[in-house]
Amino acid sequence: MNTTADRLSRWTPSIFACALVNLALGLLLAISGLAWPETPAGAPATLAMVHLLTIGWLMLLMLGALFQFVPVITGRKLPSQWFALATLVGVELGLASMVCGFLALGGNALAAVLLPIGGSVVVIAVLTGGAALLVPLMRKRPRPLSAWFILAGLAFLLLTVLLGLTFAFALTVPSAGPLLALLLASGVAYHVLAGLGGWFTLTAIGVSYELLPMFMLAPHERGRLGKAVLWLGAGGFAAALAAGLAGALWPLRWIGVPEQAGRLAIVLALALYLVDVARIYHDRRRRQIELHNRAAVGAFISLGFTVLLAAWAAAAGRLAAFAPVLVLLFLLGWLSGLGLTQLYKIVAFLSWLQRFGNRLGRAPVPRVQDLVNEQRAAGLFALYFTALGAAAVAVAFGQPVATRAALAVSLLAVLLLAREYARAWRGYYAVDRSSGPSSGTTTLSRIKGVHP
Amino acid sequence: MTTTAPFTLDVRPLLQSGGEPLPRILKAVSELEPGQALRLLATFEPIPLYAVLGRKGFAHAAIHHGKDDWEVLFTPDPQAAAEPRKQRPAPASHSGSGAGWPEPTWTLDNRGLEPPEPMVRILSALEDLAPGEVLEAWNDREPLLLYPELEARGAAIEVEPGNSGVHLLIRRGG
Repeated sequence: MNTTADRLSRWTPSIFACALVNLALGLLLAISGLAWPETPAGAPATLAMVHLLTIGWLMLLMLGALFQFVPVITGRKLPSQWFALATLVGVELGLASMVCGFLALGGNALAAVLLPIGGSVVVIAVLTGGAALLVPLMRKRPRPLSAWFILAGLAFLLLTVLLGLTFAFALTVPSAGPLLALLLASGVAYHVLAGLGGWFTLTAIGVSYELLPMFMLAPHERGRLGKAVLWLGAGGFAAALAAGLAGALWPLRWIGVPEQAGRLAIVLALALYLVDVARIYHDRRRRQIELHNRAAVGAFISLGFTVLLAAWAAAAGRLAAFAPVLVLLFLLGWLSGLGLTQLYKIVAFLSWLQRFGNRLGRAPVPRVQDLVNEQRAAGLFALYFTALGAAAVAVAFGQPVATRAALAVSLLAVLLLAREYARAWRGYYAVDRSSGPSSGTTTLSRIKGVHP
Repeated sequence: MTTTAPFTLDVRPLLQSGGEPLPRILKAVSELEPGQALRLLATFEPIPLYAVLGRKGFAHAAIHHGKDDWEVLFTPDPQAAAEPRKQRPAPASHSGSGAGWPEPTWTLDNRGLEPPEPMVRILSALEDLAPGEVLEAWNDREPLLLYPELEARGAAIEVEPGNSGVHLLIRRGG
């Protein structure tokens, strides 16, 4: 009888909690001064920090959300809930090994063991989670647009972790072949592009195409614009990555053409996506926008600003100089910003379903909104995005201390937001409306003359 | 045969503020004089209302003035009351199971409501149905989270996507 609980992805709340811990740890490492912005981008502690934020925070967040959403949007169940737990345990163990391996880099023999082992465990965990998600995604016909984005994202996830594993071997095995050394020398940018772009961004777009219209009551069909975002985005990342990696390994003179075409397609796809998001906000039927979608505007502004800045920096030949601020805005503004804001609604919704699912229709239940305190969280989202903007300015002006101070404020906002998620999950704000009017029976009308 | 001028009801402000127009419309209908027509101003074409008021003996004529601007004249028509089954087009059934279902005895317009309110309302209504009775509902979106709940309660559902929302027929099991 307990199908509501069955319908929930059992391990998703735990995955979200672990992801938030990793986000806090990553930010803490940046604030501590041991890693970027005080050390160069390739420094061991910086690599540890970046992977805490990408694998530990964003990847767990995305996978946790997909374990919940893919069965809903496809109407097909995951083969088993245990895949999600196996993914969580594998990612956490692999990541811990990788972080220790990174910190041991530079002479310590431990790194040679920990990095490849940790990387391999993460790859196995990703294959496990990805396989579980593929089952419903492949079975569903016709496939909704969001499912295509998720499929494309999962393909780039595989490419990202395999590239990462290759680097783990290249970094730690001194006798690695010349091909691996070449790949390490110029391939890191493609690892970043595949991960932050192909995997995180395409998946985030797919999930946002479900969540934004759902809660703003905008048309769900995205039409030709949505398809253009999908094909330009997926095609653009594929072309830029294939051409870029080929060019890193072999001296092909013409390879720059498809790579540039791919990058152009990516910029176009992201610009069209932002136009489409504006269209969703504009075409919404709910005048009142809930906090999670009001705050998400901060993420969309971060994305738009990153795209503009990247296009300008590329044209001016200053992409390398602006890389730190671009990565900061993209990772913490766009991806983390969207993640934190949508998480606010997702956690409340899951908590509500889990708490009241079986009582629906049979007894009055609180609304989902009764599980949160939007006023309190609104200030925290504003604090997060403001601190991030300040951090970006500090990075652009080469002020590591100011950057760390701004990131400390964003960490504070994250911790206080995490407390709000936990409260929503535990039902801290829940108002018992069982004595008040039921929300479910107010306007039902009996049709006279039909019932015998 | 209208003897009195039509009664005009403008539910556009109510719809724009996210309110539920059906109670006010039904109240207005119940207060009409014999033979009096109802002139309804709405922000969308009130398709589910055609079936509801059709069974109350009203014929409808809709005028689309522009974006979010509809005018519908509901005129008393004894013919409409006599043949309620013709008011609703046959649902394009996916599974075919809805073909032999009885006419819906309840109707709900869930459009303009934020998730999960449509699901809550449908499940509430379902509890009030007698076994075998059918509920008709209009939603903005396909109610994906509702399916497992209906399955758990032994109810069957027919889904028909349309231009102005998703038309649902839900039959209580037992």
